[in-house]
Amino acid sequence: MSAKKLLVLSVLAVFAGAAAKPTDASAQTRVTIGVTETMETYNPYGDSVSLLYGIWCQVMGCLGTYDFNKSEYVGMLAEKWEVKDPNNWIFHLRKDIKWHDGSPLTADDVVHSFNRVRNDPQSKQGQNIAPIASASVVDKYTVRFTTKQPTAPLPEYIFDRLIITNRAIYEKYGAETADRKYPIGAGPYKFKELVPGQRFVITKNIDYPGVKQLKQAPDEIVYRVMREDEQRVTALLNGEIQIAQFIPPHLQKRVESDPKTKATAVDSVEIMFLAMQPKPPFDKKEVRQAVCHAIDRDRIINTVLQGLATRLDGPIGPGQYAYDPNLKPKYDYNPEKSKKLLAQAGYPNGVDVELETPVGRYTLDKQINEVITQMLNAAGFRAKLLTPEWATLWSNVQAGKVPFYYMGRGSIVDPSVALSQYFETGGSPRIGFSNPKFDKLLATERQTFDPAKRKKVLSEAMSLLTEEAPACFMWRHKMIYGMAKNIDYKPTPSGRMFGEDMRVLK
Amino acid sequence: MPVLLLITLLVFVLLHAAPGDPASMLLGQENTAADLEQARRRWGLDQPILVQYFKFAAAAATGDLGKSFRFSRPVKEVIAERLPATCELAFFSILIALTLAIPLGVWSGARPNSWIDNVGTSFGLFGISMPNFWLGIMLILVCAGSFHILPSGGRSTYGVAGAPQTGFYFLDSLLDGNWAALKDAMLHVLLPALALGANMVGILMRVTRSSVLDADTEEYVITARAKGLGDRAVLWRHVFSNALIPIVTVAGLELGTLLSGSIIVETVFAWPGIGSLLITGVTSRDYPLVTGVVMMYTVAFVVINLIIDALYAVIDPRIRY
Repeated sequence: MSAKKLLVLSVLAVFAGAAAKPTDASAQTRVTIGVTETMETYNPYGDSVSLLYGIWCQVMGCLGTYDFNKSEYVGMLAEKWEVKDPNNWIFHLRKDIKWHDGSPLTADDVVHSFNRVRNDPQSKQGQNIAPIASASVVDKYTVRFTTKQPTAPLPEYIFDRLIITNRAIYEKYGAETADRKYPIGAGPYKFKELVPGQRFVITKNIDYPGVKQLKQAPDEIVYRVMREDEQRVTALLNGEIQIAQFIPPHLQKRVESDPKTKATAVDSVEIMFLAMQPKPPFDKKEVRQAVCHAIDRDRIINTVLQGLATRLDGPIGPGQYAYDPNLKPKYDYNPEKSKKLLAQAGYPNGVDVELETPVGRYTLDKQINEVITQMLNAAGFRAKLLTPEWATLWSNVQAGKVPFYYMGRGSIVDPSVALSQYFETGGSPRIGFSNPKFDKLLATERQTFDPAKRKKVLSEAMSLLTEEAPACFMWRHKMIYGMAKNIDYKPTPSGRMFGEDMRVLK
Repeated sequence: MPVLLLITLLVFVLLHAAPGDPASMLLGQENTAADLEQARRRWGLDQPILVQYFKFAAAAATGDLGKSFRFSRPVKEVIAERLPATCELAFFSILIALTLAIPLGVWSGARPNSWIDNVGTSFGLFGISMPNFWLGIMLILVCAGSFHILPSGGRSTYGVAGAPQTGFYFLDSLLDGNWAALKDAMLHVLLPALALGANMVGILMRVTRSSVLDADTEEYVITARAKGLGDRAVLWRHVFSNALIPIVTVAGLELGTLLSGSIIVETVFAWPGIGSLLITGVTSRDYPLVTGVVMMYTVAFVVINLIIDALYAVIDPRIRY
């Protein structure tokens, strides 16, 4: 047989029986999830993205998390917490939680973690502890957080975000070795492998309280980086992954039409809005309100977004803390009213505006804004659409250089933090809105620890905001997850994906 | 060295001139102005740009490319981790390109205006015209989505390969004797290599065809035929060997294009190489990382050119340095 023929036959033999399905080593049950965020660092404090907060919370542990089913914060490593006085919160840790090496998790570890967020040169999570002046040990299982000012929404800052790491291992090995070689956590899942840029693998910790009973929760979860939408969906249909995060609307039907897969939609906690800086022409409330009346949100949702969004009639929607369905005014689609408002504001012949939008950052952002631009033009504006690259737009927004833009603000469970950031005087230059009455209401709600009273104050603040319209609140996208049919999982609005919430059915 | 210095200075200046900085890109959206300032101080971004550059250049001269803001790890380590993936992808792209382009080009050139020539030319035009990101998505949809014969992306199936030794999955699987891992690696590299190599196939095929057509009319070829040598011997021993110089030149130039083309293909196929690393670095304004990757590309281009120059001497004994 000639050398050439032998070479060809050898290559064919290697490919023989080739299948796209995994031939991987066995795990009792494994769920592979295609995700859009990249996973690059072993340092739990080195990134600030929703996906990684969720993974590290499962592996290392968090004080608590927001339970969307119960609409309340629930403890994870913390058993209970109390507000001793307006500036002091006491967290009581569970005594049955152990690090994965068997040692007890104590208040020392929580204080160490707080200090690491603040002082680690690679930390990108400082904003999560911004309102906290100090953390101290009260006793072995009790931690005190002292805030700089009364901060009723403190759980919004630290639950799901303050990752608890092991102080003893850190002091023995130093940050780098501890993170890379000894990622010993205290959560319901254990660290197995992180291949930067490729995957993060975690395995079920049956020693964590309650996990042993979750027999159908996956024994192993593989988070695989797949940023390209087509690739992620194809991988799901191919059986390479069992859950695909963030399916764009135009690919939903492909997932639903496959007999092996299904699509599940859930309202996100990211609000989409059109922000307007209070500079001409948006220094006039009438002009801002004219923008809100000019846009037919229902039509955009039903056509461009194919029904996959929930309209907002205020800063937040159902399921978010202090949501009030009775906020007024409601901005119905009324281009004639827009023209009248513009005339009242001194622009009877219309006004030139430039609307900036990112491209590819949010679902169909460019397409949506092309429609919005047309609607604005039909309502008396002379609108021009600009589509800068995301990094350029975002840095300009943060510097307060963009007068009119489309943006999202995610991770809003309790709206206090986001409202302060965008709309309180001095919160950030992103919009530059300032209203003393609104500032006073926000300051009051932060100091109001009674939930019913606090919700009332928040509702009043959001009502004022809706009336003043420094932003037109548009919608919350529905996040679509594709899944294999044998996966029983209801995704959370926050985008965190916890193995304990998943069931692998036979 | 002067080239490297100039390139790094240019990249440094361009990156800093672009709006945005790492602090605004990498801190969470809940960040405050105080958080941004603190991050900028920590990363030395509050210093004048020339000071930043000289610090970088001084460290780079000792082999220290700094620490990536995005990955919180030394840039050298991050690049070293990803380089094998890009090298493997590039190797198989070139292999596919040469395997397809040269025979097609030679046969097309040897039989101009025949059906072989028409097929080859069409193939070549397809390769040149097709954007590689579109071709990549089509390959995913067809080969993985419709026919389920190849994986949709990534570099390997979790759980198949053993612990990495060199970072080159093919080499590691051979060293381990893990045939399942070798097969898995081959299946994963095929589609991205095809997408990346298609453009090179088109260009090389056309160049090979032209070179063969030119060489075929030379007097030594006519003499060889007159002496009674068969078509195959004339074609491969005389025509092709003398047509190699322009083919090697274009191949060398195309290697550079291939490296830059890998940026898009790696993103489409979730291939964890230098190209996708560069995208991440640019979008997050990770100055040390981007500068390090560009330096690596520069060195790669220089090395490729040196190899091509050396190859000339091998192909054509008349060339001596």
